[in-house]
Amino acid sequence: MKLDRRTFIKGAGATTAGCALASLPGSLAAFGESTLKGSAESVASICEMCSTRCPISARVVNGKNVSILGNENAKSYGGAVCARGGAGHSQLYDKQRIVKPLKRIGERGEGKWQEIEWDEAYATIAENLNRIKAKHGAESVAFSSKSGSLSGHLFHLAKAFGSPNTFTHASTCPAGYVVAAKAMFGGKIKRDLSNSKYIINFGHNLYEGINMSETRGMMNAQMEKGAKLVVFEPRFSIVADKADEWYAIKPGTDVAVALAICHTLIEDDLYDKAFVAEFVSGFADFAKEVKAYTPEWAESISDVPAEDIRRITHEYAAAAPHALVDFGHRSSFTTEEFEMRRALYAANVLVGNIERKGGLYFGKKASKYNKFAGENVAPTLAKPGVKDMPKIDAKRIDMVDEQYSLLWSSGGIYQTILDSTLDAKPYQLHGWVMSRTNPMQTMTDRARIVKTMQKLDFVVACDIYISESAAYADIFLPESTYLERDEEVVDKSGKSPAYYVRQKVVETIGNTKPSWLIWKELADKMGQGQFFPWQNMETLQLFQVDKNTSLLNKIKADGWVSYGKPLLLREPAMVKAFSVSYPNAKPLDADGTYASQLSFKTPSGKIELSSDKVEKMAPGRGVIRYREVNMKKADELFFIQGKVAVHTNAATQNVPMLANLMSDNAVWIHPITAGLLSISSGDAIRIYNDTGSEEGHALVTPGIRPDTVFAYMGCGSKNKELARATGKGVHCGNLLPHVTSPVTGMNLHTTGVKIAKI
Amino acid sequence: MTKRYVLVHDENKCIGCQACNVACRSENNVPESVTRLQVRIEGPYGNFPHLHFKYNRVSCEQCENAPCVKVCPTGAAYVNDDGIVSINEGKCVGCLYCVAACPYKVRFINPETRVPDKCDFCKESRLARGEEPACVSVCPTDALTFGDANDLNSEVRKLLDTKQNYQQKVNLGTEPRVYRIPSRRGGIKA
Ligand code: SF4
Ligand code: SF4
Ligand code: SF4
Repeated sequence: MKLDRRTFIKGAGATTAGCALASLPGSLAAFGESTLKGSAESVASICEMCSTRCPISARVVNGKNVSILGNENAKSYGGAVCARGGAGHSQLYDKQRIVKPLKRIGERGEGKWQEIEWDEAYATIAENLNRIKAKHGAESVAFSSKSGSLSGHLFHLAKAFGSPNTFTHASTCPAGYVVAAKAMFGGKIKRDLSNSKYIINFGHNLYEGINMSETRGMMNAQMEKGAKLVVFEPRFSIVADKADEWYAIKPGTDVAVALAICHTLIEDDLYDKAFVAEFVSGFADFAKEVKAYTPEWAESISDVPAEDIRRITHEYAAAAPHALVDFGHRSSFTTEEFEMRRALYAANVLVGNIERKGGLYFGKKASKYNKFAGENVAPTLAKPGVKDMPKIDAKRIDMVDEQYSLLWSSGGIYQTILDSTLDAKPYQLHGWVMSRTNPMQTMTDRARIVKTMQKLDFVVACDIYISESAAYADIFLPESTYLERDEEVVDKSGKSPAYYVRQKVVETIGNTKPSWLIWKELADKMGQGQFFPWQNMETLQLFQVDKNTSLLNKIKADGWVSYGKPLLLREPAMVKAFSVSYPNAKPLDADGTYASQLSFKTPSGKIELSSDKVEKMAPGRGVIRYREVNMKKADELFFIQGKVAVHTNAATQNVPMLANLMSDNAVWIHPITAGLLSISSGDAIRIYNDTGSEEGHALVTPGIRPDTVFAYMGCGSKNKELARATGKGVHCGNLLPHVTSPVTGMNLHTTGVKIAKI
Repeated sequence: MTKRYVLVHDENKCIGCQACNVACRSENNVPESVTRLQVRIEGPYGNFPHLHFKYNRVSCEQCENAPCVKVCPTGAAYVNDDGIVSINEGKCVGCLYCVAACPYKVRFINPETRVPDKCDFCKESRLARGEEPACVSVCPTDALTFGDANDLNSEVRKLLDTKQNYQQKVNLGTEPRVYRIPSRRGGIKA
C-alpha cells in the first residue's frame, strides 16, 4: 500500500491560502502597502515561532522579504532553523495580521470589530478593570500569557494591579515534567541527548516537535556516535521511524513500562548502588512498591512484550551512565501524569546518570559556575526590583487544594479560570486579560471556554492575529511581532553559562507595539505607572548588565555568547578539563569529580524517589504507584494528538507559508479499523464523543494502532478571523473532556472517540 | 569544467521537516504556488510493526546529461562551467520544451517572472556570496551536504566514497548530481 503524506503536508501548495478577510478592520491589508526597513544588514536575534526560542540571524532582502537563518555562534544550534523559524517573515507581513487596536462592536465572538486608537483602547481597559477592582476586588481579574519573555511584563502589571491570578500555558503543555522534577530533584533538569549512547523515548517527538539543540543532539548521537534509540509510541511518528526499535504501546500505559524498567533494574541488580546510597532518599519504599511491577505485568497492560522490556533494560543498564530515559515534554496523556513522569525520572536516577555525559544534568548559570571556577568566568545578570509593590492578600483561584502547590509558582492551573468564572469557585472572576495565548485550542472542552468568555464582564486580548480566543475579546491589542521588538537579555545556560537577546530586525510596520510597552502604557493609564519606572528596553538591558555597555554590545553583536568549558559535576574528564582551565577552581573530590557538591533543593537535600512532602500534599502519592485509568468507553477508540514540524501548537496555523505547507489535520486510522467502518483515505468522517463532535477526513495508515486514532493538534479553528485555518481539519480541544490530573494540574490529552463515515 | 557541484541528501538524517523548503523560498523569492524544493514523506512502507517512511527530496537533479538543456532551442537552458544547470532568462522564448522534457518534473514557470525556474543550487543568491545553499545551511539535522565532487578532500567526496548511495532514475541516463544515502531501514529504493 502506498500512502503519501502529501495529503497533509503539501510542499507545493496546491491550495494557495485565500484572503477572504483582506478588509478585516485593523489588518495589515487595511493599513495599506508598506516596505520593510531593516535596522541593520544582518541582525542577531531570537526566534518566536515556537517556545524553544532558537538564536537566529535575520537579514532584510530588497525591503520586501526577510531571510532568517540560525545563528552560527550558537554551536549546539549549528546555524540551523526549522520551517517555522524560516517562515517568520511570512507572519510579519501577512495581510491578515492585525496592526491597529480594535474594539468589539457585535456580540462576543461574532467577528464585528472597529478600529480605535491606542489611547481609547487603554482608556477603555483602565476604566473597566478599575471598575471591576473597585466592585469585586483586583483578584477577580485573571491575567494569562504564553510563558517566557512575554509573560514577565504582563504579570508585573497584574501584581501592580493587585491580582495574584497569573497563569501561563504550563498546565496545558509542559507542567507535568516540570512538577515531577520539582518533587524529585527540587527543580528542572535537562537531558544530554548529544552524548547519550542509549536513549529510551516514550513518544517525545523531537523530530517533529523540533527543539533545535536537542533535535540536533539526538540525531548526532544516533548517526555519528551510534547511539541506540528505542521508542514506545502508539503511532508511527518520525521519531518512531528513526528508532532502532519501535513499540506501538497502548495509549496511556507508559507508566507501566517505565515502572517495569525500574523493577528490572532493581530486581536484576542493575542499578547504581553507590549513587543511590549517596544521593537518593526513599529508595526502600520505592523498591518495595515496584517489586510487583514485573515486565510480564507491564506487558498485560501495555502490549509491550515482557522479554523486550527486560532486554531493553539490560541494554540500557549496560550503556549507563551514558544512557537516558527521555522524560518527555507535552503532557498529560492520562490523569496519572505525575506518576508517569516520576517513573521516567526514576529510571534515570537508578542508573546514576545524573551529571554524567549522556544523562541528565542541571543548567550551569553564571553564579553557580563562577563559584566552581573560583573566578568570574561569566558575568551575572541583575534583575530590576520595584519598591513598594502592592501586597496581595487574596489567594489564587487555584489555591484550593494543597496537592497542586508545586504549580502555584510555575504557571498555575490555567483551566481554573473556567471553574472560577462559571462556578464562582473559590470566588467569582469578572475579567480576563490574555496575551499571546490561545486556550480555545490548547485547553480542553472548547464549549466551556465559550461559556466562560460569554459570562465574563470584560475580556482583553493582546496578540498578533485575532486568534480563536482573541475573537471573544472586548478590546484587541495588536502586538509587534518578534522581528519588530527589542527585549531583555536572556539566560540560556546549559553545561556552561550563555546569554542571548532579541533585537529588532525591521522597523515596525503598522501601528503595533511590543507588549512590554503596551503593559507599561496601560499601567500609566490605570494609575500604576510608578511600578514601571524604566523608560524603555535599553534602560532595562543596561540595568541587567550593570551598565557594562561593552558586554551588552557584545551580546547584541554576536547574538549568542557562552562562557567557559562545559561542566558536568560527576563526569571525570569534564571536571578535570575544568579544573585545569581555572587554577582557583574548587578542589576536586578524591575520585576526581565534584560529586560531593551535588545538591538538590528538596526537603532531604537528596533526590526523593519517594517523598514525604508529596505524601503530605497529596495523600497516597508519596510513593510512585500504578493506578488503572479509564481513558475511553469499551466501544470507543483512543484519541491521541501530537506536534508536526511545520506548526507550533495553536499559534501558526494562519501564517501563510506554513498554512500553505499544512492547513488541515487528517485523522490517522489503521486499515483494519477503517475497514470495519468502511472508511478509505480521504473520506469525510465524523469524530465524536460526549464532549464534542468534529468533522474531518481520514488518512488510512498502518502507522497507528488499530484501537487508536491520531490527529496533529492546532487545526480546525472556529472563528472566522483566522481565515486560513478556520474549518480546516478537526479541532482537538473540542473532543477532550475537562479533567485535571492530580498534583501536576495538567489537563487531559487522551480520551475516547467514535468515528463514522459521513 | 572546473568544478562539479553535487548535493548529498542523507535520508537517515532527514526528518522531513520542510525547513529546507521554507528557506529556499525566502532566499530565492520563490512564490507560494510553486516550489523549487520539497521533501516528501512517503509511506509508511512495510508491514506493521516493521514500517519505514521514505524521505524523498524533490528538486532539480542537476543532470550531467540534462534533457532540459538538450531540448532548449535558444540556449536559455544551459550548463554553467561549474556544472550547474542554469537559466538565461533573456534567451528564453517561453516554448516550455524544458518543462516538458524534465523527467523529474521539477521545472516550472515562475508566475512572477514568467520564465522557467528550478533549483540552481542557489547560484544567484547564496553561492554568489560565497555561502552554502540555503537548504544546506538551515537543515536541522545536517542531512544535506553540498560541495565540489572534483575536490578529493571535499565533504561530499568523502561521503560518496564511504557511504552507500544512489541517484534517482539512473536508467534514463541523465546522471543526476543529487545523490541520496538510503535510510538503513528502507534500503535502496531508486
Ligand atoms: S531541512 Fe533537512 S531534515 Fe528537514 S526536510 Fe529538509 S533535508 Fe530533511
Ligand atoms: S532535473 Fe530536470 S530541470 Fe533539473 S537538470 Fe535534470 S532535466 Fe533539467
Ligand atoms: S540549493 Fe538553493 S535553490 Fe536549490 S533547493 Fe537548495 S535552497 Fe533551493
